[in-house]
Amino acid sequence: MDFSFTPDQTLLKNSAHAFLEEHCKSAVVRLWWDDPRGESEGLWKEMAQLGWLGLSLPEEHGGSGLGMVETALLLEELGRAAYPGPYWPTMLVADAIAEAGTDVQKKRWLPAIATGEARATMTLLDADLDWSPDAIATRGEKTPTGWQLSGVKRYVAWGHVAGVLLIPARTPEGVSLFLVDPAAAGLRWSPMMNMDPGTRLADLTLDRVPVRAEDALGAPGSAAPRLARLIRRGAVGAAAEMLGAARRCLDMAVGYAKVREQFGQPIGSFQAIRHKCSEMLLETENSHSAVYYAAWAQDADAEDADLAASVAKVYVGDASRKVCGEAIQVHGGIGFTWEYDLHMYFKRAKALEAQYGDADYHRELIVRRAAR
Amino acid sequence: MDLNYSSEDRAFRDQTRRWLEANVPTEDMKTLAERKAWHRKLYEAGYVGMLWPKEYGGWGATAMQQAIVQDEMARIQAPPAINGLGIGFIGPTIIVHGTEAQKQRYLKKMLTAEEIWCQLYSEPNAGSDLAGLKTRAEDAGDHFLVNGQKIWTSSGPIADWGILLARTDPKVAKHKGISCVLLNMRQPGVEVRPLKQITGHSLFSEVFMTNARADKSDLIGNLNEGWAIAQTTLGFERGGNSLGRVTRYAIAFNQLVKATKQLKRQGRPLIEDPVIRAKMGKLFAELEVQRYAGLRVLSALNKSDSPGAASSITKLSYTEFEKRYYETALEILGPWGQMMTAREEFEEIDTASGEAGTWATAFLWARAGTIYSGSSEIQKNIIGERVLGLPKEVRADRLKA
Repeated sequence: MDFSFTPDQTLLKNSAHAFLEEHCKSAVVRLWWDDPRGESEGLWKEMAQLGWLGLSLPEEHGGSGLGMVETALLLEELGRAAYPGPYWPTMLVADAIAEAGTDVQKKRWLPAIATGEARATMTLLDADLDWSPDAIATRGEKTPTGWQLSGVKRYVAWGHVAGVLLIPARTPEGVSLFLVDPAAAGLRWSPMMNMDPGTRLADLTLDRVPVRAEDALGAPGSAAPRLARLIRRGAVGAAAEMLGAARRCLDMAVGYAKVREQFGQPIGSFQAIRHKCSEMLLETENSHSAVYYAAWAQDADAEDADLAASVAKVYVGDASRKVCGEAIQVHGGIGFTWEYDLHMYFKRAKALEAQYGDADYHRELIVRRAAR
Repeated sequence: MDLNYSSEDRAFRDQTRRWLEANVPTEDMKTLAERKAWHRKLYEAGYVGMLWPKEYGGWGATAMQQAIVQDEMARIQAPPAINGLGIGFIGPTIIVHGTEAQKQRYLKKMLTAEEIWCQLYSEPNAGSDLAGLKTRAEDAGDHFLVNGQKIWTSSGPIADWGILLARTDPKVAKHKGISCVLLNMRQPGVEVRPLKQITGHSLFSEVFMTNARADKSDLIGNLNEGWAIAQTTLGFERGGNSLGRVTRYAIAFNQLVKATKQLKRQGRPLIEDPVIRAKMGKLFAELEVQRYAGLRVLSALNKSDSPGAASSITKLSYTEFEKRYYETALEILGPWGQMMTAREEFEEIDTASGEAGTWATAFLWARAGTIYSGSSEIQKNIIGERVLGLPKEVRADRLKA
C-alpha cells in the first residue's frame, strides 16, 4: 500500500510544471484565447518532443507505454496552467484506437498523434444530451463502399483543429464507432463561444457523411463498452485538470492572503479568511486523493475502477468550483477583474465540469453501483 | 503508487477475520465487567495496543495491521475495545514523556483495561482556549493539592485514573505555567457528576476536584511544561483509524439503501425517486473519497511516525463529512429516520465509532465530532498557521502577554 508517487512520476510532474511555467504562461494563454484557432501549433510540437503526446501509447507505435497515473500528473499541471487545446481529447481517441483499432488504423494514426502531426477529438453527445452510450441516436447506414452517417452531435471540443473525428452512430448491429475525416462531405460545424475561451466547442450536423468500410473502429455494434471506457478515462483526466486549476487558485489565494493588508494586518490573519483557505486546502487534498485513486484504479484494472472514475468526476467537480470560486472571494474586487488571472482557472474548472459526463450522469452511475 | 494490499497484509486480514468470526460475542454486553472481559480477550489476541512497543505490553504491529483490525471489527460489527482514551492517547503520552517507574506502574493495566482512564483537560471557561485553564495544582511537599473543575470528561464515571492539566504557576504567561500530572479518580477529593448529552445518554461528565491529591511522582515531564505535552496528546488523537471509520459509514450506507427500498412515498420506493438517487450518489461519492483519503493517511503513517499538523485536515474532513452524511440520510428517511429505540447505556464512548444506536442517534452524535478534540474552528486555525503558513491572528491575550 503506497499512495505516494515514484521518483520517475515526481520527475515527470516537476518537469511538466517547469516547462509550462515557461511556455504556457497566463499572458500567452490569453493570446490563444484571442486567437480564432484557440491553441498553439508550436506548443503542440514541443509537447510531442517532450513525449507527452505518446505518454500512454504503446511503445511499438511511438509511445512511452505509461499509465493513467502519469497522464493524470501531466493533466493536473496542464489544468494548473489553464492550458487550452485538444490534448486530452486527442489522447482519448488515441487510446480508443490503440484498444480497438486494426493494424492499419494504428499505424495510420498512433505515430502521427505521438509525433504531433495529428490531433483528434470525439463526439459524445447527441441531440438529446444524454451521456449514456446507449442513447446514441445518430444513424449509420450501410452503403456499397461502407457507411453513411446522419444526425446531430452537440458540444464537440476542438473539432476545428482535429485531423480525425471519433464518432459513434447507431447501425443495425447496435452502437458503432467510426473514424471520420473532418473534411468529409456532409459535415457542418456551428462554432460556439464558451465562457471559457480555452474550451472551443461546436455543434456538428452530419448529413449522409460517407465513411469507408475500413474506417469503422472495432466490430460494428461493439461501441458501448468502448464509449464507457472513453468517458471513464475522460472523467478521470478532467478531474485531474480540475484539481490543477484548484491548486493554482488555492496557491494564489494563500499567497494573496499573506501580503494583502486591511485594518493594518495581513488578511490571512483573520479567521474568516484563514478558515476559508483551510477549507480550500481540505477540498484540494481530498480531490488529490480522489484523482489519483481513480487513476491508479484504471491502471490496476481494479474492481472499482468505474466507480472511482465517477467519484472523482463528481467530487472534484464540486470541490474545484468551490476552491476556485472562494479564491475569487478571498481576493475581493481584484479577483473579479479580467486582467487578474484567477478567472482563467475558475472558468477552466467549470468548463470541464460539464464534460465527460456531468455530475448528474456520474451520480446516477454511482447509485446504480452502490445501491444494487 | 500501488494501492493493493501486500500478501502479508491480506494474510493478516484473513487471520483477523477468522479470529473475530470465532470469538465475537453473540449477545449484547450489558455490564462493564462483560466489556472488560471482551477487551481482555481482544488484548490477548494481539488486537489492542497494537502500535505500542512490546516492552510495555504492546504488540509492535504496523499502522496498516492496526487499520486492518479496526476495519475487520467494523465489518463484523464487533463491540470495540474499551479504554480508548488511555490506549490511544494517554498511554502513548506516558511512553513518550513518562519516567520508567510511571511506565511500569500504569501502562500494562491500561492496556488490559484493569484501570480505565479519562482526560481532564477542558474546563467551563477553557475550551478552545485550553491554555486559559484555571484548575490549580499547588506544591504540598511530596504531592500537589488539586482544586478546580473539569468538564466534558468522557468515561468520567467509570475512570480509575485521569491525565490532568493544571496550573502550577499562575504568575507566568498562560502557556508556561501548566503542568501535566496523573490523578487518581478514586479518592474523596474527586467528585464526578454525569452530564446528559443531546442523545439522551450520559456518557460524559463534570469532575470537581477539592483538595484532591496527586503524587509528585505522577508528574509527567517537567514542572510547568505541561502545555507541550498536551500538544503531543492531541497529536496522537487526530488521524488514525481511517479504514474502520469508513467501513462503518459504508455499512450505514447499505442500511440506507435497504431503507429506501422499503420506505415508499407516493406509492413508490424512495430509491426510485431521481431526486433521492442524486442525493445518494453525491453522498456515496463523498464516502468513497473519505476512504481514498484514509488510504493516503495510512500510506503516510506507514512511512513515518507522526502525521503532524496534516492530521488536522483528516479530522476536519471526516467529522464535517459525518455531519453532512447523517443530515442527508435523515432528510431522505423523513420521520422514520428520527425514531429512537430504547437501549442499554454504554459505559464509554469510543469517539472513533460513536454511540451505537439508531439513525437519530448517529445524526445527533455527529454533532460531537466537530467539537471534541479541537473544534473544526481550531483545526482550521492549525491548518492555516502550520500547513498554509498564514500569519497568526492578533489576539487580545497575546497583546497583554
